[in-house]
Amino acid sequence: MAQKTKELLVDPLVDNNPITLQVLGICSALAVTSSLQVAFVMTLAVTAVTGLSSFFISTLRNHIPSSIRIIVQMVIIASLVILVDQILKAYAFQISKTLSVFVGLIITNCIVMGRAEAFAMKNPPVASLIDGIGNGLGYGLILMLVGVIRELFGSGSLFGVTILQTVNNGGWYVPNGLLLLPPSAFFVIGLLIWAFRSWKPEQVEAREYKIQSVEAH
Amino acid sequence: MGVRAFFDRIEPLFEKGGKYERYYPVFEAIESFAFTPKTVTTAAPHARSFVDMKRIMTYVVIATIPCILVGLWNTGYQANAAIASGLEPSGWRAAIAGIFGYNPANPLANFAHGLMYFLPIYIVTLAVGGFWEILFATVRRHEVNEGFLVTSMLYTLILPASAPLWQVALGISFGVVIGKEVFGGTGKNFLNPALVGRAFLYFAYPAQMSGDSVWTPVDGFSGATALAVSASEGYQALVGHGITWMDAFIGTIQGSLGETSTLAAMLGLAFLLATRIANWRLIVGCLGGMIAFSLLLNLIGSDSNPMFAMPWYWHLVLGGYAFGLAFMVTEPVSASHTNVGRYIYGALIGFMVVMIRVVNPAFPEGMMLAILFANIFAPLIDHFVVRANIARRAKRHV
Amino acid sequence: MSDMSNDPKGGFIARFKALPTDSIPKTIFVAVAVCLVASMIVSVAAVSLRPVQEANKLLDKQKNILQVAGLYEDGMNVAEAFSQFEPRVVEIETGTYTDVVDATTFDDIGAASDPTMSVELDDDPAGIGRQSKYATVYLLKDDAGNLDKVILPIYGYGLWSTLYGFIALEENGNDIYGLQFYDHAETPGLGGEVDNPRWKTQWSGKKLRDDQGDLKITVSKTTATGQEAHHVDALAGATLTSVGVDNLVRFWMGQQGFAPYLENLAGGNV
Repeated sequence: MAQKTKELLVDPLVDNNPITLQVLGICSALAVTSSLQVAFVMTLAVTAVTGLSSFFISTLRNHIPSSIRIIVQMVIIASLVILVDQILKAYAFQISKTLSVFVGLIITNCIVMGRAEAFAMKNPPVASLIDGIGNGLGYGLILMLVGVIRELFGSGSLFGVTILQTVNNGGWYVPNGLLLLPPSAFFVIGLLIWAFRSWKPEQVEAREYKIQSVEAH
Repeated sequence: MGVRAFFDRIEPLFEKGGKYERYYPVFEAIESFAFTPKTVTTAAPHARSFVDMKRIMTYVVIATIPCILVGLWNTGYQANAAIASGLEPSGWRAAIAGIFGYNPANPLANFAHGLMYFLPIYIVTLAVGGFWEILFATVRRHEVNEGFLVTSMLYTLILPASAPLWQVALGISFGVVIGKEVFGGTGKNFLNPALVGRAFLYFAYPAQMSGDSVWTPVDGFSGATALAVSASEGYQALVGHGITWMDAFIGTIQGSLGETSTLAAMLGLAFLLATRIANWRLIVGCLGGMIAFSLLLNLIGSDSNPMFAMPWYWHLVLGGYAFGLAFMVTEPVSASHTNVGRYIYGALIGFMVVMIRVVNPAFPEGMMLAILFANIFAPLIDHFVVRANIARRAKRHV
Repeated sequence: MSDMSNDPKGGFIARFKALPTDSIPKTIFVAVAVCLVASMIVSVAAVSLRPVQEANKLLDKQKNILQVAGLYEDGMNVAEAFSQFEPRVVEIETGTYTDVVDATTFDDIGAASDPTMSVELDDDPAGIGRQSKYATVYLLKDDAGNLDKVILPIYGYGLWSTLYGFIALEENGNDIYGLQFYDHAETPGLGGEVDNPRWKTQWSGKKLRDDQGDLKITVSKTTATGQEAHHVDALAGATLTSVGVDNLVRFWMGQQGFAPYLENLAGGNV
């Protein structure tokens, strides 16, 4: 059991990462990664929602009629998201202002629904909780990696602390403005997926078709 | 010992099983640069033509020569004119350029000064871009090909002379890796790598790159580009800034290294059309789209936006339109491949460039963005053209 | 839940529990129960956290006003520091104080979309559409009770978004002490540099009007000779955000904005 628990927690970090392998949750990964602090809070929020929603859904799994199961899952997830949003507004106002609509959009994050439907509906509550937390952390790991790259090279700082003094503030570093724009996360995530799959070639998907070579050397 | 004999002697080292097998692409690149490749197509179908990829790429580089020459002269001319008007020359260039003087009326001084801006950028582009090319070729075991010579030359010509060399290096790295190699290398890229590199710089360092202030590389020189002036005061105001239509056509205005001269771009285009490398349908589409849409905007008019009134012949000579038309729109890999598709693809670029220049408030120049935009749509356009063709034929044979 | 199928005869609840999960009564029951519980949790959270959230919003606004007045330090007691300010509502047209609305609760931005509280603008360089008839200003007085600074709310359209901010003026109503935007969505790194401290310090010490009383303050790339005291450098690479800031500052400091009030202030009429 202990072995399995560890697997549930660690597996989604690299081997079955929700972003780089399953390519889910990209929308918020583009939007909230221009600063690390925001990415960090988003990680916590998503981890809390995924873990708790999986836990509650798993607890109720034998009583949820299959005809309305998606709606029941949605209600539970939505309530948790509103709860997180309210708590952030009350205790982390500045960050909730930056995250703005993206906290609310955790509801539509495919990772949360995916874990509820694929894991929590078939497994006991504690395992589901750990699975949810593991997936939230796997999502967060990529968020933080992207956040480090974007904030360090886009603004010259990490967690708001200046690392590379920018030209506008009298330093030498010319910040890369592209990295502050959301589309840059596409490149960064793409390169990360490339790196992950070079490191672990078993993650490479099978080709959908074969390019015919007509040239014979 | 002849060069050929030398290659023949060391070739076994690089072939399968040889000591330097890994580095075969490097060997092949150097060998085929010196000699015609020995390999011939063996599998069917055989298409016999004296034009191979190497020759196409060489022709494109030849076609850019007028742009390079005018660009060299103009860059030096702009810099010398700025110095003649009272600015101090500075840096290492001042030491060398002092030999020829700073007289903007002396073509030799202009060429020399321009060359000192062109060469560092071009060398850095070749070195850094070449590094990526060889790295990927070695890892992927394919050959380095001449496409990169074209990419590096086009990339250099669309950069401002004042671009810092580290930005040049970053841009070409992004262009080669993200614009080409991630898709599998030359021929498999759906975007123009030179433009991808340029677009990277445009968005990453917009304060220096976005084309609303001029790029004359003399410290302390500042002002607005012709397009930015037109956007704020209308094209009629250009004459007040010392720019006539003829200046813009010949290319004696401020701008990127090699794209100011419409005339030089047209000479290059004529060469590409004569050698059948550029497809005339793309040109017709692109000119047609631009002229039609700018005429429409002229008709609509606007009180607050003077760009609405800009006539098509000004759109033609300002910014990167002519250069892009000659060398980017016509690039065969990233354009549409069907004849009908080529008209549509060209027209889409012509339409978008006017759209971005006139309507979008943030970007004064639109040629680069318009071409990249159309690059993305090219496969889709082809898809629909082919579908329509299939449907038409199916109807004929009910 | 193994006890579900045990004993179907043990009364209503037991019989209900024995129904298959997919039966209609149970489906309805689960749906209603989940909704009830979820809505209760959400409403309890919303109601109990409301006061903290309201306090946060207020604190945020107060913090911005303190920052523009140069009084803010990290970790200070914002509410206490803010008590030095006296909020007053100004009628824009006449430039005099009014008590038709309560200064502590008046919502400037909300009033701009209320037809009874605002006017539609024909000449609208700041791109705001409607302008509130009233505005809340914040007066900072020194220990002797004399006016030290006045903080005025300003806002207007930049390139992509409306910029909301405050401008702090010295007691003469002409010397700028500082300018700060607290909400905008301009391009990060370009227009977003309106938040750059180095750019903001330029505003300090600039004068709105020249000796003839003409509004001269501009944000532009080049300085006309003799106008240095009225000129702030445009942001590099952000022409349209700079133009927007220029327009909105000139609008709010002009006749349509606070000019009548500032005249009254300088003349000691309010």
